[in-house]
Amino acid sequence: MRQLRLLLCSSAFFALMTLPAFAHTGGVSGGFREGIAHPIFGPDHLIAMVAVGLWGAFLRSPAIFVLPIVFPLIMAIGGVLGILGLPLPATEPIIAVSAVVLGLMVALAARPPLWLAAVLVGAFAIFHGYAHGKELPASANALAYSLGFVVATGLLHLSGIALGLSARWPAGRIGVRGAGAAIACGGLAFLWRLA
Amino acid sequence: MNAGVLLTTLALVWPEVAMAHAPPWGGPENFYSGLLHPLYVPAHALAVAGIGLLAGQQAMRWQLVAVSAYVIGLMVGFAAMVAAFAPLMTGEILLATAAATGVLTALARPLPEFLGALLGLATGTALALDSPPSVISLSAANVILIGTSCGATVLLIVIIRLAAALRREWQRIGLRILGSWIAASAMMVLALRLAR
Repeated sequence: MRQLRLLLCSSAFFALMTLPAFAHTGGVSGGFREGIAHPIFGPDHLIAMVAVGLWGAFLRSPAIFVLPIVFPLIMAIGGVLGILGLPLPATEPIIAVSAVVLGLMVALAARPPLWLAAVLVGAFAIFHGYAHGKELPASANALAYSLGFVVATGLLHLSGIALGLSARWPAGRIGVRGAGAAIACGGLAFLWRLA
Repeated sequence: MNAGVLLTTLALVWPEVAMAHAPPWGGPENFYSGLLHPLYVPAHALAVAGIGLLAGQQAMRWQLVAVSAYVIGLMVGFAAMVAAFAPLMTGEILLATAAATGVLTALARPLPEFLGALLGLATGTALALDSPPSVISLSAANVILIGTSCGATVLLIVIIRLAAALRREWQRIGLRILGSWIAASAMMVLALRLAR
């Protein structure tokens, strides 16, 4: 009886949900998927975003939450520049440099003042946003696409923070710094490829 | 068989019956379509989420002012639509309010009540004007509009209550991060629309 009730409830739920869904097939899910994929399948974006989270966790409170809040807001400004087609020189090399610099900050356990860390991360965010913004006009559903890549960027930060929290233990600290060094090497490899 | 099972069975078969014998007002699927409309249009969902999260961070009185202004805005918007008012840039206004509420949520500061009234009124009016029913029948259109009013109001109240229930420090930080995501998405798409 209990299973029957569960089955009926779930069937009723899906039956009700499918009716309005047919009226809105404007490529929302496709746009969201494309947006999610952009930072995740762009390895240069991916390692830099993870490095932001790692560094935030390394710097501890308040940097651990200030950096993931600052990054999307500043990234949006870069995105607007990209959408408007305003020139921003050397976007791809600076994205690779962001991975090198942020990776080195983690590897060297650098602890600059919060404002300096925020300025550095914000400056790189403009270039990451610019690259995303240039892709936006071609997307089927711009809002779903932008939501997708902002959410993916945020989740990459959170995954970096989750990894970075292991720095509380001595072995974790070595692991986090090693991950920072690996990210810096990855950034150098992207720079090498661009040269 | 108890009442719950009976009701879910009824809900399961009701849309099919309604389609076979559609009354002049279009049947309950028009109401459901209106009810879920704010959830299926990303700009609407984003704008409602933005003001809902912001209100959830503020005091109860601020929430009441924002919700009241929002409901008044919905009524004004639908009245304007019924009076054949042709809206301009309602999508852009929704994105602008989403960007503003997202930034304010990320900042997490106490705000004056008039700002809640202003943002609620702007969001409600723009949401209503941006939801024109795509049916010819007047009675069917009215049912859709009633559904949209209910859906948009319930959605806002649910988001506010959920956000207000987040009391722990890490939950409040998560709320601010969500606000920054909403602001970033809305700003970029607003720029895209204005650039076109």
